[in-house]
Amino acid sequence: MTLLDRKLLRDLWSLRAQVITIALLIGAGVTVLVGSVGTYTSLVANQDRFYDDARFAQVWAEVERAPRSVVPRLSEIPGVGVVEARVIRDVRLDWPQSALSVAGRIVALPSSGQTALNRLTLERGRWFEPGRSEVLVSAGFAETWSVQPGDPIRVILNGRLQTFSVAGIAYSPEFVYASRPGNPLPDDRTFAVLWADEDAVAAAFDLKGAFNAVAATLAPGASEKSVLAAVDAVLDRYGGRGGYGRRDQPSHRFLSDELAEQRTLALTVPTIFFGIAAFLLNIVLARLVEAQREQIAALKALGFPSRPIAMHYLKFVVVLCALGCAGGVAMGVWYGHGMLNNYRPFFRFPALIYEMPAPAPLIAVLLSVAAGSAGALAAVRRVLALRPAEAMRPAAPAAFSRAALGRRWRPTTKMALRGLAGRPVRSVLSVLGLAMAVPMIVMGLFWWDALAFMIAVQFEGVDRADAVVSFTDPVAGRAAREIAAIPGVLAVEGQRVVPVRLRAGPRDYRVGLTGLSAGAQLRVPREQDLRRVPVRPDGLTLTRGLAERLGVGVGSAMVVEALDGKRPAVAMPVVALADELLGFNAYLDIDALNRLMREGDRISQAAIRVDPARASAIWRSLSERPRVAAVAVKSVWLQVFDEKIAGMVVVSAVVLTLFGLIIAVGVVYNSARIGLQERAWELASLRVLGFTRGEASGILLAELAVQMLIAIPIGLVLARQLVATLLELRDNESFQIPVVISAPTYATATLTVAFAALGCALLVRRRVDRLDLVAALKTRE
Amino acid sequence: MVESASPASLVSQPVRPDDPVFVARKLCRTYGSGAATVFALRDLDLDIMAGEFVVLLGPSGSGKSTLLNILGGLDAPTSGTARWRDHELTGSSEADLTRYRREHVGFVFQFYNLIPSLTVLENVQLVAEIAENPMEPRDALSLVGLEQRLDHFPSQLSGGEQQRVAVARAIVKRPDALLCDEPTGALDVETGKLVLQAIDRANRDVGATTVVITHNSAIAGMANRVLRLAGGRIVGEQVNQRRLPPGELDW
Ligand SMILES: Nc1ncnc2c1ncn2[C@@H]1O[C@H](COP(=O)(O)OP(=O)(O)O)[C@@H](O)[C@H]1O
Ligand SMILES: [Mg+2]
Repeated sequence: MTLLDRKLLRDLWSLRAQVITIALLIGAGVTVLVGSVGTYTSLVANQDRFYDDARFAQVWAEVERAPRSVVPRLSEIPGVGVVEARVIRDVRLDWPQSALSVAGRIVALPSSGQTALNRLTLERGRWFEPGRSEVLVSAGFAETWSVQPGDPIRVILNGRLQTFSVAGIAYSPEFVYASRPGNPLPDDRTFAVLWADEDAVAAAFDLKGAFNAVAATLAPGASEKSVLAAVDAVLDRYGGRGGYGRRDQPSHRFLSDELAEQRTLALTVPTIFFGIAAFLLNIVLARLVEAQREQIAALKALGFPSRPIAMHYLKFVVVLCALGCAGGVAMGVWYGHGMLNNYRPFFRFPALIYEMPAPAPLIAVLLSVAAGSAGALAAVRRVLALRPAEAMRPAAPAAFSRAALGRRWRPTTKMALRGLAGRPVRSVLSVLGLAMAVPMIVMGLFWWDALAFMIAVQFEGVDRADAVVSFTDPVAGRAAREIAAIPGVLAVEGQRVVPVRLRAGPRDYRVGLTGLSAGAQLRVPREQDLRRVPVRPDGLTLTRGLAERLGVGVGSAMVVEALDGKRPAVAMPVVALADELLGFNAYLDIDALNRLMREGDRISQAAIRVDPARASAIWRSLSERPRVAAVAVKSVWLQVFDEKIAGMVVVSAVVLTLFGLIIAVGVVYNSARIGLQERAWELASLRVLGFTRGEASGILLAELAVQMLIAIPIGLVLARQLVATLLELRDNESFQIPVVISAPTYATATLTVAFAALGCALLVRRRVDRLDLVAALKTRE
Repeated sequence: MVESASPASLVSQPVRPDDPVFVARKLCRTYGSGAATVFALRDLDLDIMAGEFVVLLGPSGSGKSTLLNILGGLDAPTSGTARWRDHELTGSSEADLTRYRREHVGFVFQFYNLIPSLTVLENVQLVAEIAENPMEPRDALSLVGLEQRLDHFPSQLSGGEQQRVAVARAIVKRPDALLCDEPTGALDVETGKLVLQAIDRANRDVGATTVVITHNSAIAGMANRVLRLAGGRIVGEQVNQRRLPPGELDW
């Protein structure tokens, strides 16, 4: 071991508190990097694997009723690979355990067993046996209600109650994310997917020898667009409802949104986080090295060439980074596991396995070493550039301006102020470093604010109904009055939702077009500032996200193609934009929509307000009505929202807040410690002159206090900027998060950083108390 | 211990031989333990009278600084007692020692120990501010001949000038004791004399009991009494009948 290496070990030991805090700082950055990148790559890998194994289809189409004989014509379409025609129906379950009605979707499978496309993976149990009234149940529903193979399950098939026996529990690539049609969030409590024998299902729905849904793969290189057009052409005369690709497949759409979200979060959050950590590492190490200026100069004066000196400090950086990265990678794997576990109830994959992306730790190590050594080596170079004689003296107190300070200030105050002003670059960097601690914490905390705001806007402002009752088919408008007659129902508003395809030039989007009556109070599209947006008969009101997706604005011409009933198409302008947080929506005046559909006064769902005391009786009574397909209750919704989305966000928020705190402490502590190191000699001299411990440390603490006072407001502004950037970069149409940061969040971040500073100040104060006075007299530093 | 007959002595405060201010008994200061124990001071006894000017001579490592630091309340002996009038210097709390330094002691060190971020005047004001009955800082700087350099920073001064600022800073509080550790160690002869003159005036005009460490025996002529240290003990004592003014020192 060379002598310099021995010095290295001793330096590491004597600076151990700083070494630990810096390693923690690196570790926090690496944890977030490895954890979130790993979560993202794991989700993508799981998705790819599952889609491949299950042969997930690429295009889908739904149709009223087409004879099986049409299938060969679909297969002949150029560019189509494998075609599978199926029967899929929405049903209701008789599920007494649930206070709310449980909707189901039943998918018919051939008695021969596995399908060619969208293959199921059995979690438990076995395949159903033909002719025995058995079903497979989706894993989410089974888990939520502890459904076991062998349990009975009662399904209302086309108005007839039929009892099946559960043969097995299964995963399907089409229902990784299982949500009831029209619901933007999955709810395993009130939605089940069932797979049953084709003959039984087809017979129940009078679809024997026919199909109402088709899924297909594309031949390599085929154009999805032209295939879809050809499929639509074939199915048109059988009541085709339009084909769509993976992009519009509900499960895939949400999954890819979530993955896009994860990608943004996996890249932006760690980038910001790691970037800040690296910046701080850079500053801290530069100051640490600068504090050894006399030693470096002495080494140079003794004849050491620059290279071993630089190597010496490089090793210091590498040891720090190695410590931080080792801890960070281990923590990152743990964090990634946790994040991925949070997705489990959301995304039903047969197995959700965390896979650490191999390059992530490598990148983490390289980036942190790069950031750290850049800071350290720049400082070494600055010192080496000086003549040794100059460098061996303490750094010249730079441009102290006499005029700058009035004579009335106390000398100790002047010391503190000149300490800051004497080295403006360093002071600015330290202040910036301290300021960065604030956004670290805000980035963790603001999610709560955003969620609270979203809930307030969406569920109190826009979606004002207590529940939405949807019917199996559009019903006459008077159905609303019948619901109004149920005791405890306070208000009812009929709505018509028609599946449509909105076209704007080359772009199109499938969405439920919602018809609202003119004075609707229970569903109120709004602008961001909560102003009401009118729903008009002469044009569409689109949510902003949808308008962006379609590339349209107010005044743009659109074509609305209904995918239901007589499937009329009509040209219509966009007349208003609304801001909504959940999903894409389009609105039209209900009478105008009914005129368009040429079906008379019809509603497909009703928004209702109820007396809370009688709510459960009302839900029960509604669920028992034959034409009611489902009752979506807001309070349940909110619970789902809380449990799933919030649960997901909160874990990362807690982790980010915690790491923000670590970084804050790391910066503040090091800032104060190095400040002490730089001024120890001066402070010891003051103590010799008879200044008390309090007075001596007061100078240092005043300096820290001034820095904090400047840093915190800067940090608050930075925090808002960073959050805005973060949200700008994420692009998730099902889940739009506004830049909302509450005063308590700002206050918490401020207080946390201030308390971290106070704690560090006290630690430093203790060090000032223990300064070796005699040693300060023997030498200059 | 005879009053000097030089003109300067006419205005100076007399040494009071019956009034010991520093009293040390069986003072020991060791570093390390076991076989590696270093004795910086061994059973040292010492009395210094009010107003006296004492020079400590001795080779490097003989314990001079250790003794001075203990007298100044900067270090504590391993055993033995030391006191300044009614202030116990051994076994006192850190706060008591700080108060003692603040109220009674002025220091001058070989490395000046000025605060680089404060100007000449501010360095002196720094101490004036915490003293009970200080001189006007400008007057203290006039005493050392630096009234023209009030607004300069230490880095803009020569070593001798810096040391004179240190002397002004030490005397501005009208200290009862002025402790100087090799104040001229880093200076040339002429500059050294200027600094010694400043210390001499502080002793005579302010009446500060003064202890000066040096290894330059020529300086001994300024003192009332010269103590020689070796191996942590006082090995010789010499009383000067006449105190030479620094200008007449021959080194
Ligand atoms: N911190 C210390 N650790 C160990 N030994 C010390 C320390 N300080 C001083 N000494 C030793 O004490 C003895 C007296 O030192 P000092 O009083 O500084 O001598 P000087 O007469 O040169 O001022 C020396 O031998 C020195 O090596
Ligand atoms: Mg000495």
